[in-house]
Amino acid sequence: MTEESQNIRYYVLFANYEHGLAAHGILDAAGIENRIAPAPRAIQGELTCGMSLLLRPEHAEAAKACLDAQGAAYHAILPLADQLRARRDKYC
Amino acid sequence: MSNYVEMWKNLGMDLESHDLLCQVLPTAVGDVFLTQENRPKCMDFWDTVIAEVHGIRPAELIEAQKEGRKVFGTFCVYVPDEVVIACNGIVTGLCGGSQFWVPGGEAVLPKATCPLVKASVGARLGRTCPFFRIADMYVGETTCDAKKKAYEILGKDVPMYVMDVPQMKREKDILKWKDEIAAFAKKVEEFTGNTLTAEKLAEAIKTVNEKRKALARVYNCRKSECLPISGRDALLMMQIAFFDDPARCAQMCNRLADELEQRIKDGVSVAPAGAKRILVTGTPLAVPNWKLHNIIETSGGVVVCEEMCTGTRYFENLVDESKTTLDEQFMALSQRYMKNNCACFTPNEGRIEDILRLVKEYKADGVIDCSLKFCCLYDVEKYSVSNVLKDAGVPVLSLETDYEDADSEQLRTRIGAFIEMIDD
Repeated sequence: MTEESQNIRYYVLFANYEHGLAAHGILDAAGIENRIAPAPRAIQGELTCGMSLLLRPEHAEAAKACLDAQGAAYHAILPLADQLRARRDKYC
Repeated sequence: MSNYVEMWKNLGMDLESHDLLCQVLPTAVGDVFLTQENRPKCMDFWDTVIAEVHGIRPAELIEAQKEGRKVFGTFCVYVPDEVVIACNGIVTGLCGGSQFWVPGGEAVLPKATCPLVKASVGARLGRTCPFFRIADMYVGETTCDAKKKAYEILGKDVPMYVMDVPQMKREKDILKWKDEIAAFAKKVEEFTGNTLTAEKLAEAIKTVNEKRKALARVYNCRKSECLPISGRDALLMMQIAFFDDPARCAQMCNRLADELEQRIKDGVSVAPAGAKRILVTGTPLAVPNWKLHNIIETSGGVVVCEEMCTGTRYFENLVDESKTTLDEQFMALSQRYMKNNCACFTPNEGRIEDILRLVKEYKADGVIDCSLKFCCLYDVEKYSVSNVLKDAGVPVLSLETDYEDADSEQLRTRIGAFIEMIDD
C-alpha cells in the first residue's frame, strides 16, 4: 500500500507556536507546501503546543532539509495515517 | 510560550477530561478544513487560532486580567460589546458548540434542552474550557427560556448579569432596551471600577463598527459568482470573531477581504463547477459546530451566507457614530441592536424579509433552514420561512439537528437530495 492510499501526512511538531509560525514562514518562503494544523494528540506526546505544520509525503524530506538548513526550531516530523477525510462525519 | 498545562491548572480545569477534548479537535479540523483545496492564504491566521484555541487567546486574557482588566463572557449578539470595551473590559463569546460538553449540561438540565445551552453549562461545570474559567462575569439575556433557566444555574457558580431583552419591537421596546443598556453600563462601571464617558463610548462604538465593516467586506465577496472562500472557512472566521480582540479581528478580516477581492478579479473560485449556492438560516453555529456546513459542502453545495447570529446578524447595521452624549449613544446602541431579527421576537417578519433580501444579494440557489433540537422558537418559525420562500420560488429545506454525529448520514441523504433537485 502506498503512502497516498493510506492517506499519510507528515506533521512538524513544535514546543510552541512561535516556533511553528517561524517554520511556516521559512517553508512558505522556500515554496514548500505546508499548512497550519492542530497537532494530532496521538503523536503530540508531552508537548502542549496545539499547532503543527501539515505536509504531503512528497514534501516531507524537502521540508526537513529546509528547516535544518535554516536552523529552525522544531520537535519532530512524524507521519500519521488517515487524518483527513472530508466525509468521516466525526465532529467534536 | 505554549506550555499551557500550568495555565490550565491555575484555571482549575479538569486536565484529564480536557485532554479528551484535545484528542477529537484535530481530527475534526483536519476533516472539515484541511481537506479543502485552494483555501485563501490568509486563513493561516484562523488555522493558527483554532490549532491553539485553548492557548493563545486565553493566555492573552489572563495577561490582561493581571493588568486589572475584567473579562465579560457573553452568549448573545444583543449584548452591547461597546459598553464593556469603553470601560476597558474585554468581551469573549461563551456559547458551547461541542457535543463533548453536552453530557455535563445534561447532568443539571433536562435532556430536552437545546444542545447549545447544555454545552455552555457543561463547559463551565465540567471545567474543560478555559474561556468559561477566565471570564470574571457572565452576561446573559432573556432570549429563550432554556437560557434564562440555565443562567440561574450558572449564576450559582460565577458572577452573572442578565439583560432583559424585549419580546416585541415597538418604540417603547426600543426605549426599554436603551434603559437596559444604561443599567448594564452602570454594572460594568461598578465591576471594572472605570467610569464610562461619552468619549470612551464613542471610541468603542467606532472600534466595533470597524469590526462589523471588515466582516461585511468578507461577506460581500461571497456575493460574487466567482466564490473566493468556502462557507466552512467563512464560518470559522465568524466564530472566532466572537473571541478575538475587536481591532485585531478587523485587521485580519480586512486582510482576508483584500485577498478575496483579488481572487475575484483573478477568477479564483473554491466552488466546484455546478455547485449549488446555499444560504443557511436558523440557530447559531457556535465553535466548533461545523457539521452542517461540512455536510453541505461535501454534498454538491457551497454555503454563501449565514442568516443567523453567527452570520449576518453579527455585523449588519452600524451604530450611529454621530451621538455625543451617553444618553444619545445608549439610544443609538438600542436602535442598532434591536434591528437584529431573532426568533425570540413577535412578530418577526424582519427575519423573513432579511432572508429574501439575502437570497438575492448572495445569489442563493436554495435555503437550508436548520435549527438545533429543542429550540422551539426557530422550529416554529420554519413554517413561515418555508411558506414565504416557496411562494417566492426559492427551494427550501427545513432541518433539525444537534451536535451528535449520529444523524450525519440522514442529513447527507436529505441535503444531497435537496441539492440535486435544485434546478440549474
